[in-house]
Amino acid sequence: MKNYLVPIIAVALTISAIIIRQRAHAQNVSSQSADKTSSASAETVGVKADTPPASPEDSPVPVTEIPAGYRDWRFISVAHEEGNLHSFAAVLGNDVAIKSYRDGKLPYPDGTIIAALHYHHVPSKENNEIFGREQSFVPGDPSNIQFMIKDSKKYASTGGWGFGHFQDGKPLTDQAKIKACFNCHAKIESRDLVFTRYAP
Amino acid sequence: MKTKNVFALLMIASALTIAAVVANQKARAQNTSLRPTDKKGAMSANAAGAKTNNQWYSIFVTNIPPGYRDWTLISVAREEGSLDDIRAILGNDIAAKAYREGTLPFPEGAIIARIAWSYDASQENNKTFGKAQSFVAGAPKNGVQFMVKDSKKYSETGGWGYAHFNDGKPADTSFMQSCFPCHDLVKSRDDVFTRYAP
Repeated sequence: MKNYLVPIIAVALTISAIIIRQRAHAQNVSSQSADKTSSASAETVGVKADTPPASPEDSPVPVTEIPAGYRDWRFISVAHEEGNLHSFAAVLGNDVAIKSYRDGKLPYPDGTIIAALHYHHVPSKENNEIFGREQSFVPGDPSNIQFMIKDSKKYASTGGWGFGHFQDGKPLTDQAKIKACFNCHAKIESRDLVFTRYAP
Repeated sequence: MKTKNVFALLMIASALTIAAVVANQKARAQNTSLRPTDKKGAMSANAAGAKTNNQWYSIFVTNIPPGYRDWTLISVAREEGSLDDIRAILGNDIAAKAYREGTLPFPEGAIIARIAWSYDASQENNKTFGKAQSFVAGAPKNGVQFMVKDSKKYSETGGWGYAHFNDGKPADTSFMQSCFPCHDLVKSRDDVFTRYAP
């Protein structure tokens, strides 16, 4: 009889381990909107890029606060921009974003946040010295951090996405520039305004 | 009675294996499972092939650490030349904590993962920008690599177990011999090249 108690305990421990993990996961979700049902409206709200704001209600609402804990979010992809930007971008997503990316769900639900951490693109002298040739490029100083926050009501005038740009911790609040974020992102309406694809 | 004992043991073994797998795959906060004791347990539970070559296991890492794709970003990089890739370096919680606190040497249980992709010009981005400027991660390339800190198990290689997987399969011994001698050139940083991107 005793022999059967052990497996029962083991199974109970397994179940509790799963529950603990799921709870821990849920806690990582920040600023998730309760209004999930309205996410579908994000698609219909999408304003064409070449349509200028016609009324004050269309004024873009900038993101003015850096979402908490973004540096701990999971990795979506990496990119390098040449030209004036000459940057590295590491793109991270909160739990809502990661789930949508992995499930391939569009549009992104309310509560989705995507972060683009930008750095200067610099050669790694120390790596190159060791390799004996110029080959290695790494992030230098941070240049800016950008966010896209999905809230289809609050950011209805910009496709359901709030755009944020922070330099040295300070937000960009110039509405014309925020509108420019949207205008360019709106060109990729088929992917809910998100350029970055998930790196497998 | 003997049959009952065997049955009970099987139940315990499978329950613990499931628990280990689930905990590992979903864990973001607790990536401590690759510690030697757990790993040994997991390997004996999984059995297959683990006993065929003891020497191999005593030097290199041959199991992909579960859940690594969910780990914290340490940094990114671009390698030119024959590698020609764009990469991301991720760390489990122990590694990320050590990086952020500047702890050297890295503590036991630290695992650093290197994932790499083909360095592709993004046609769709360039089209949108109206100029060629954007390079993104394409298909996975140059395998997946890990450094696993276990100063006893990997004492021969500076306390780090090295791993390279191509399509999920560990690289051959001759390839693996090249990891440690090169990494040991940055001994002052505990054999770790990558610096933390703030």
